[in-house]
Amino acid sequence: MSAAAEEASDDALMVLYANGDGRAAAELTARLGPRVFGVAMRVMGNRTDAEDVTQEAMLRLWKMAPQWRPGEAQVSTWLYRVAMNLCIDRKRRARGGHADLDAVPEPPDPCRSAAEQMQDGARQDALQAALMQLPERQRQAVVLRHLEELSNPEIAGIMDISVEAVESLTARGKRALAAALAGRREELGYSDG
Amino acid sequence: MADTDKALEELEDLFAAARSARPGMPAHLNTAILADAARAQAGFSAARPARAVRQPKWRQLVEAIGGWPAMGGLAAASAAGLWIGMAPPSFVPDPVVLAGYEESGSVFADDSYDMALMLSEDLQ
Repeated sequence: MSAAAEEASDDALMVLYANGDGRAAAELTARLGPRVFGVAMRVMGNRTDAEDVTQEAMLRLWKMAPQWRPGEAQVSTWLYRVAMNLCIDRKRRARGGHADLDAVPEPPDPCRSAAEQMQDGARQDALQAALMQLPERQRQAVVLRHLEELSNPEIAGIMDISVEAVESLTARGKRALAAALAGRREELGYSDG
Repeated sequence: MADTDKALEELEDLFAAARSARPGMPAHLNTAILADAARAQAGFSAARPARAVRQPKWRQLVEAIGGWPAMGGLAAASAAGLWIGMAPPSFVPDPVVLAGYEESGSVFADDSYDMALMLSEDLQ
């Protein structure tokens, strides 16, 4: 990959890609793909759905590149927004009027290695299980704020809500997570001291 | 209250650990995304040259100037300039005088010169 592509802004890469530069797609994928995949993993709770959401979100990015207007919006914000909407659509389709999958903690992944099953792994599994118990919008807000470390105004743009609504969602989400994890403190190796 | 603070503190530690252990994107997903990108990009480049090749030179020139409105303005300004040059209004200085030439009187220096007199002399 060229140094110029590595230094270019996401906006500039979108223009380069629309003009036929193949390296721009590789650089945008390297920058944005893992971030979208990481968020989708946390929000969807399983790898298959996260992969589908990531690929579909990136495909929509490629298709709209010729219409992209530099300076109007951040590419990452646009992409997160598409990904979050895809997550909601998938959850709705999966529910299909039956059981609420959000309320069901994910079963442990049988493919995990021995190292991942150590205490840190157990804590992360517990965090993911607790996240999956949150309502959809709370989970999205908590993941974007505390795992992706986005600002509240940016999350508000992604979720199409006010900054106050973001603050409310993240505060309630954190309290719910803390409550869900409180009963597993000993199991997760937290002492009372 | 202290328990709540402790739980939130532990939650922050869990968030920090999660941030440092972000899941990597699988290689096959990366390949699939780049294949989608190449397919979409091929669609853009297939449409672009078709538009460019059909553009004749004169049309490119007109568009470079600013399109038909600009061409209309250019034609009107040219016509007005030609008209003013050929028949200048009274308030416009005569370009011949400005160029340093005298009136036609300089050609015929003698004001008393008379075509009839000349003809009559010739006949004599």
